[in-house]
Amino acid sequence: MKTKITSIVMVLLAVFITLGGTTSCKSKKRLAKEAAEAEYKSKVEQAVTDLNAILDDETLWTLEEKEARVQTIKDWNLQNAEVDDLIFQAEKKLARERAQKNEEERAAAEREKANSTNAVLERNFNNIARASSVSQANRTINETLGLFESPNVPVLIIIKQNAGFNDYDRPTTIEKYLNYVKDQKKSTEKVFEIKYNANGKINELELIKK
Amino acid sequence: MKKIIATLMILLCVTGVAMAQDELSFERKQAIDSLALEKVRDLSKYIKIVGSKDTPFSEANRVIDRAEELFMSDAEIGVSSIHSNQITFYRVRKYFEHLMRLNYDRVEIEWYNIEYVSDLQRQPDGTYVGVITIFQTFRGYDKEGNMVYKDTTKKDITVYVRRKETQIGGRTIGFWDVLLGDMRVKETTDR
Repeated sequence: MKTKITSIVMVLLAVFITLGGTTSCKSKKRLAKEAAEAEYKSKVEQAVTDLNAILDDETLWTLEEKEARVQTIKDWNLQNAEVDDLIFQAEKKLARERAQKNEEERAAAEREKANSTNAVLERNFNNIARASSVSQANRTINETLGLFESPNVPVLIIIKQNAGFNDYDRPTTIEKYLNYVKDQKKSTEKVFEIKYNANGKINELELIKK
Repeated sequence: MKKIIATLMILLCVTGVAMAQDELSFERKQAIDSLALEKVRDLSKYIKIVGSKDTPFSEANRVIDRAEELFMSDAEIGVSSIHSNQITFYRVRKYFEHLMRLNYDRVEIEWYNIEYVSDLQRQPDGTYVGVITIFQTFRGYDKEGNMVYKDTTKKDITVYVRRKETQIGGRTIGFWDVLLGDMRVKETTDR
């Protein structure tokens, strides 16, 4: 009788442990699933918020930060139609911003280059005009010609600007102009516009009377 | 009759517009006045460079080329002397070559009182023509540094300014072409 009772208890205990273990495993899986779903939902919500902020210009992020944020959201691979659509729109918007920024940076670099060339040219014009000897002036002329595509690069001189209309003197060449500055010992023009060839050499120069 | 009046009105309007387009504003006219005066001042510097015995031959020749470009192709320059009543006319290059060969050890040439005696006036062909007068003092020295010749000459230079166009970098550039005409001696004194 005692042995029978012990066997029954053992069987009940085994059943209880088995049932208990199964219930615990199922609960863990459910919890993990719920956590994953919560995380996914949170990521989708975060992605929608961030992408809308980018699209509506409601963020202080730099262009690089915005591009990085979109890339992170793409890497999440959320496979959510709304997020995918927002990513598509955001990428288009950021591509436009990138093109505009690149153009602004290119224009700024060109301006900086022009400003620095302007300064070099105007300094050389003054040095040629004030040279103490013909040979000194000729050295500066040769140095200046090195900035140009050829000695025959055209030089336009604006004598008067009137209502967006320019009156020019007879066009000359850079070599003749530099020699003119040397002969006349005066530098009465300043740089108005410079055009460069693909090699960064000046291929057109526009001056204006000071 | 109405048709004739209407045609006349249109003709008057077209002529008026054309005339208005030909008229230069005061500022633009001033700019070309100054440009022409500047060309004469440039010429005075070229004469000084070529006249100087210190100027290397190659430099003098280059400057003569530049000076020639200031003039109309058939322009002549009058040269006088206090020793003669005769005025000799030279083509521009000949004048400069003559200046280079002057038989002095050193020469000084100064131009001053450069101004218009006759303002630039528009001609029927669109050319602006004016006359600029200059005073030139010439001094010649021998090798001992003694001044052996001096005269002061008043000269008149006719100036022609034409509107022209050229193509540069694919653009049409309208410019004012200033050309000097004959340079005539008006008066020579030994002062």
